[in-house]
This record gives sequence, C-alpha cells and structure tokens, in this order.
Amino acid sequence: MENEYIYDLLHKAVKEGENKGADFIEARFDDLQLTTINMTNDILKQSSSMHRKGIGVMAYYQGTPGYSFTPELNTKAVKEATYNAVGLAKSTDSRNKMKLSFERTKGIKDKVKPLIKKHPKDFEFNDKLELIKRGIAAIKENANVTSTTGVYGELYGEKFFVNSDDTEIYWVPVLVDMRMMAVIMREGQQAMSVEGFGASKGLEFFEEKETTPEKVGGNSGKYCKEQLDAVASPTGKTKTLVSPQMGGVVVHESFGHLSEADFVITGQSPIADRLGGELGSEHVTIIDEGISPYGGLYFPYDDQGVKTGRSVLVEKGILRGYLHNRGTAHKMNAETTGNARAINFMFNPICRMKNTYFEKGDLTHEEAVEKVKNGVYAIDMSGGQVQMDGNFMFNCNRGYLIENGEITKPIKNTALSGNILDLLKHVQGATKKVTLKTGYFGGCGKGDQFPLPVGFGGPEVIMDQVLIGGAK
Amino acid sequence: MEFEDLRAKVLEVADSAIKYAKDSGVPSAEAFVFNQKINNVSDNNGKIDSRLGMVQGLGIRVAVGKQVGFASCTGFELESIKQAINQAHSVAKVSLANPMFNGFVADTKTAKEGFLDPEILNLNPEELTNYLDKINQEINRDDKRIISTSIGVRIRWGGYAVGTTEGCLSSSLTTAFTAFCSSVVAETGERKTGDDFVVGRKIIDLDGIGRNAVKKAMDGLGAKKFEGTEILSSVWETRPVSSFLGVALGFLFSGSSYVEKSNPWGEKLNQQVAVEDFNAIDDGQNPEYIRTASIDTEGTPRGKTVTIEKGILKSFLFDRMYGKAADKATTGNANRGFGGPAFESTPVIMPNTIIIKNIGKNIDEQIAEIDKGILIRSEPIGLFTANQATGDFSVTCNHGFLIERGEIVYPLKSFGLAGNYFKTFNDIQQIGSDREITGDMLQSPSITFKNHTISG
Repeated sequence: MENEYIYDLLHKAVKEGENKGADFIEARFDDLQLTTINMTNDILKQSSSMHRKGIGVMAYYQGTPGYSFTPELNTKAVKEATYNAVGLAKSTDSRNKMKLSFERTKGIKDKVKPLIKKHPKDFEFNDKLELIKRGIAAIKENANVTSTTGVYGELYGEKFFVNSDDTEIYWVPVLVDMRMMAVIMREGQQAMSVEGFGASKGLEFFEEKETTPEKVGGNSGKYCKEQLDAVASPTGKTKTLVSPQMGGVVVHESFGHLSEADFVITGQSPIADRLGGELGSEHVTIIDEGISPYGGLYFPYDDQGVKTGRSVLVEKGILRGYLHNRGTAHKMNAETTGNARAINFMFNPICRMKNTYFEKGDLTHEEAVEKVKNGVYAIDMSGGQVQMDGNFMFNCNRGYLIENGEITKPIKNTALSGNILDLLKHVQGATKKVTLKTGYFGGCGKGDQFPLPVGFGGPEVIMDQVLIGGAK
Repeated sequence: MEFEDLRAKVLEVADSAIKYAKDSGVPSAEAFVFNQKINNVSDNNGKIDSRLGMVQGLGIRVAVGKQVGFASCTGFELESIKQAINQAHSVAKVSLANPMFNGFVADTKTAKEGFLDPEILNLNPEELTNYLDKINQEINRDDKRIISTSIGVRIRWGGYAVGTTEGCLSSSLTTAFTAFCSSVVAETGERKTGDDFVVGRKIIDLDGIGRNAVKKAMDGLGAKKFEGTEILSSVWETRPVSSFLGVALGFLFSGSSYVEKSNPWGEKLNQQVAVEDFNAIDDGQNPEYIRTASIDTEGTPRGKTVTIEKGILKSFLFDRMYGKAADKATTGNANRGFGGPAFESTPVIMPNTIIIKNIGKNIDEQIAEIDKGILIRSEPIGLFTANQATGDFSVTCNHGFLIERGEIVYPLKSFGLAGNYFKTFNDIQQIGSDREITGDMLQSPSITFKNHTISG
C-alpha cells in the first residue's frame, strides 16, 4: 500500500472528525500479516495466512471517547467510520462522569523499524516448515514419544498513526515464534512438555544457540521423558525459585493488570490508592518498557502515538506508578507511559502492558538455589487464571525439587497459587541475569483483545509462601 | 438493513470468491464469508466507552488433492479476496498431504435457523446507553461499600456464508444481545467481587442484573477461613457448574481427540461414564440458543446429538473430516473463531450448546439435604489447569459458603477444591431442576457432587 495514500486517508479522518465537532482525533492504519503452521504427528494440521488490514478512528468529545473502524481503504468508508466515532463520543458524553481529556502536545514525525536480518516475508513456506521438521526430528532423537506437535508463527506488517497534534508515525512490528510439544503415554501415565518462545526478530532467531530447532525440540523430548520419573511436588506453602518465564507470567497476569490505569481510575484495582505505599519486599522492583536491552517485544510507539519508555511500577517494594494512556495520565497528573494498545484496527486502544518484568537482583543461579535450600524450582507453565483482587493460579508443567540447596528430581504437574499482593512481601531475592521473551502463540487477552503479543520474563526470583498443589 | 439484505451480501461475496477461484484454476476451494455489526457501550464506574463497526472478512481453504492451504483477509475488497485465494492456493501446492482430508461440502442442505430479533438491527448507541441506565438504577450508590461497578451492553447482528467449488452455497444469520454488570465491594479491608450477565438472541429484560451483581459481592463479605482439609459434598449453582462441566465435556466430547487417540473417554463409547441421572445433548437447533444456526461453519446442517444418555456415552461430536476418519457422520459441530474473528480460523470441533437435563430438586432443597458441605456460587479459578489425561483437577474457590445441617452458615475465604473429573461424573449426588436458557456453551441445572477435597 502506498504510504502517501494511507497518510492522506488518515489525515482526512482527522480533518473530518474535527469538522464534525470532535476535540481530538486519532486515526491509525494497521496492515498485519500473520502466518501459522502446525504439524501434528507428521500431518500438516494447519497452514494459515491471515491478513488484517484496516483503519480505526478514535474521536474525543469533551473527554469522552468513541471508536469506529473500517476494513475498506477508501475515502467514503473512512469518513463513515469517522462520523460514527464522533457520533458515539457526542451521544454518550452526557452520561460520561469520568472524562479523560488531555493536553495537545507537539506533533511527532517518526519512522522506525527493528533491525531484521532475515525478514520472514523474504522466505518461503517450505523454509518455515523445514524449521518445524528439524525441531520434531530433535524431539524424536531425544525421546520415544507418543505424539509430537510443532508450531511456527510469524507476525509482521506496518502501522501508520496520525492525530490532531499533527503527529505522523510509521513503524514496523515483527515477531517469529516456534514451539515444540511432546507427549508420552505409557501404562496409564501421561507426560507432556512444551518448549520454545518467540522474539521480535527475523528467522535469524532460529540460528541463535539457545533457540535452534534442534535445541528447542531436543529440550522438549528430554523434558517430556524426565516427566515419566517425576515425583509428586510438596504441597502447601513452599519456598519457590521461579524461572524468568514463570516469574514473567506471574508478574504480568497477577500484578501488571492491577497497575493498568484504566482499572486504577475506576477503582477496580486493589492498588488504586496505594501510590507511594509499600507493596512488597525491598527485592521487588517491577519495570514495564517498550524496547528493552534484555530483548522481548519491540514496541516503540503505542496506539495513541506515545513514544514508549521505561516505567518503574514498583521500586524496592514501593508502588511508584501505573500504566497509562494519555487520558489517565492527565487525570492522575502523571507522565504518559505509552501503554495504550489495541490488537488490531477493529479495537480501541486500552491500557495494556509492553515488556513487564522483575528487575535483576544480585544473586547467581547457584546462590539462588542455595538460598531456597528446600523447595521447588518452577520453570514453565501451561495455563492459569487470575482475578482482579490479585488471586492467581498457574499450572506448573515443568519443575524440580530443591533439596539441601541442590536441584534434584523433576516434579509432576502442579498448581501454583496465591495472591500477588501477599506474595510480593515474600520475595527474597533475584538473580543477576535477566531474559525477556515474547510470543506469537498466547499473549494478553484483556478486553476481548486476544492474543496481543507482550514481552515477559525477568531474572529468576525467590518467592516464599507460594501455595503449591492446591488441595490434595 | 433487512435480514435478507444481510444474507444476500454474504452469499454474493462467497459466490464471487468461488467463481474467482474456479477461474484461477484452483482445483477445490471453500470460502467462509463473515459479516457482523458490533455495537458496544460500557460504563466503568462512570467512564463511558463505545465501539461501533462492521467486522468483515473472508477465510478461504484451498485443496490440491489432500494438500490444504488456508488464508484470510479483512474486508470484502476484491483485490484482498483475490490475494487471499492466491495465497491459500500457493500454500496448498507446497503443503504436505493430510490423509484425513475428505473434501468440502457439496450440497446446500440446511437445518433450522435460530431466532432473529429485528429490533436489534435498529438499536442505536443512544438506546444502548438507556440499557446501561436501567442496570445502573438498580445499584444503590449511597452504599459506601460499593467501590466500583462495570456495566456493559453489546449487540451483534450479521451472518456468514459458506461457498464451495463443489456446489455448496449456504448461509446463516444471527442476532445477539449481551448485558453484564460486575461489582467490587469492600468493608473493613475485605474486598469481594460479584457479577451477573445475560446473553440471548433477542433483547432481554435486564431486571435484576445490577442488583444481583452487587448482592453476590456483598454476600461474600465477612468470610471466614475453612479450617483443615476434609472430603465433603459440594453444591454448585447453575453458572459455575456449567463452566466446570463445560471445560471437561468440551474436551471429552471431542471427535478429533477421539480420532487422535488422546481422548480419555476414547474407549468408553456405549459404556457408563456418569451416574444414571446424567443426560447430555449437544443442541445446535434450539432457536433460542446463541450458537444455533442453519449450517455449521463448513456448510453442514447443524444438528442435535445425544452424547450421554442415562450416564452412558453415546456419541462424540464431529466435523466432516474427523467424522469420516472415525467412520461416523458429521454432527455439524465445525466451529470457528476462538481468539479472533471467525473468518481467521479453520473449522475445529466444538460443542454447539450442551444441555444437561433437569432432574430433581432445586438448589435450596439440595442444600437442605447436606449435613456439612460447600456451596459454590461463582466459577473457581484454575478449571483449565485440569490434567486432561488423568482427570485430576485442583481449583481455587473465591466465592464459596459453608453449609451445615442443611443451611448456609457463612461465606468462606479462598479455599482449594480438588477431585478427579472422571470420578466426579460418577459422584454426582443430585442433579437440580433449575436449568435456564443462558448464552453459555454448556447449560446445566445446579448439581451436588460427593467427595471433593476441600482445604482452607
């Protein structure tokens, strides 16, 4: 699509919206290409290519928003979407008791893209299928499995953004991901493993030492096999060392959502009135950022055209901030944080996370294991659920016992549960090494907008008082 | 806009996509065309948000022999549709053969359409906000224990069409109305939530939604800890038991996991899997149910399948491909759109609406028969973490009550509830008489189970 044509349509939306009486207009064009390949038991179960392309218009009238969208890229359709958005904002304004207006700022003109060495669009379907085949072969080399599944996913495209500040932003989202799943069913026992994750990179990601198909598939087979000899985990409140993966999901799902400012200003979050208060131990520092030196998701601008930065949510246990869009930041007299995100043009941006993680500590892995002494090393999870009061439950599908300061036996699937606001008080340290990941498979599901890629990870974190196993 | 205009629109797009596919030399193709108007208005503690638009798109499967490729595009612009067809074709050509693939639907047989409410087509955003007001009016804002409320009303109308190069050209339409309210209340540092919602094919009376959401939250205040660990009976209200059983039966009824030999009930056909009072039917034809349609999403007429009769497993649910692989007929259970718009996914087997038959006593009568047990009033967290192979589950209940000597004595703080799905179907103590039509994928009356492990 020609850039000039798109910018012209978006500027028309801004102009038409303002002429209709809107105080402020944001117009964006998303053109995203998504590909999924799934090979199960050597059968190509899915080979899908999705193209999402369209324009979304947000209108603000006296601080009341209205959102509309169209997949049609012509002036008539864009005008209609704009009139709908303005109409919604105006017609609901009299009922809106929480107006979230914001100051105009100096417009931004920017074009950014990540450094991609092997862009997925430059490679054939068979190149990607070959990656899966290599991963599955590696599973089989490492275990005598009952079934295998290899999945590959890619997302790339372009995003254009224009608003009443005369901002014009163009940026390029990209990510690739591959997962390898193995199942062994033997004598009434089932063992299962899932390995792999994604990155905002091109296919060069699968040439890195830790993420080659051979490494990912090999680990999946190995971890699946060792599950057959797994022992029952201890139950009850247990000192736990959580991996970057596990800690990342816990901090995203259980804490991150509570810090989203739309939940805060409406009183839904239990940390709504606790800014400056002590939430956790001195070892708890929680960060949310758009482009991180640790990897994860590449996310330079949010869907309100705000440049993303590094937000400190919790600093040494003290709550320091929330995740804002422009309206909530203005209402709460805070800096914008670039957290207005929408999954595609059919949805309005809402406050959501970028790359969220516990900040590093000062321990080595060995020191962390030693410090736990006796407990559980929780590495990976599959599925879970959280509630807005901070209660969570995650299914740990890969973990080990820690006995006398050493990692010993693998444990069977078990549940990790608790309340994050209690748990943060029991964080006892973190390792020096931080790893961030992202993914095409899974993601954040707030407000029916699933799955939105986010970045997650962190260091390994020692948490005491984690409820393992639930009821037995 | 009229229903027949909607139908004509999706059929026309499906027909032109198939014509283009044929003209381009595509050997076999299936076009799934989706067109749905959405209009949402919500009030989050006074903060109003609204969204209005048309979700439109096409998903195309192309088969070259048994090699299948899929592509989708948003919108109905001809160039986008042509690109999607060409993309699906090029993927199919280099794809691996799927030995189970058995072609696309070749006829235009349809079943009954669900109820369509013409009033939904004409609702405008201002009228939707009146529904918000109706729910809001039931909430006593002078009660300082109410910290926040979240209220929403959503309408959907539209439909889909399936066209194939083999001769299918069929469509189905739907209207849907959803309203919900959730509340957060707090007292002396204790915080509780409650919610209520309705989903239907027509505009529904919203009486009680705001009131119920607040009452559910308030009822949870003053919670006490459940001491120790005990094996007890648990009485589940209709909504939470529908979620509980839905998670289990959605997988256990799956014809794909049956064919792939990963279904724990795979060897149990015509065997007892539940107590004799337990009867389950998958009903894609009741005009009131939200998922009822004249065709499924690959063009097969939706149907009604007896899955469990008197506790005996009678059938799994199938689409065309897995039905053929199992030497059975399709049951019209090809569904799309999990985690995104329907046109972006290929068909997968999912239940239409599973109905658990009403049997005996209402929930008060069930509670009255319990000497010591637990009442579950909202969906526990962790249902999806059950071990699908062994059936073991362990969940956390945040809205439960202690029952003693036939009476509810007090709300409980979060507690664990564990058991085994396969065992629990045989540990059903009572099946209630109080199932109502809801929008849930599984609709059950209240149920009392024996032998759940409860720990505080």
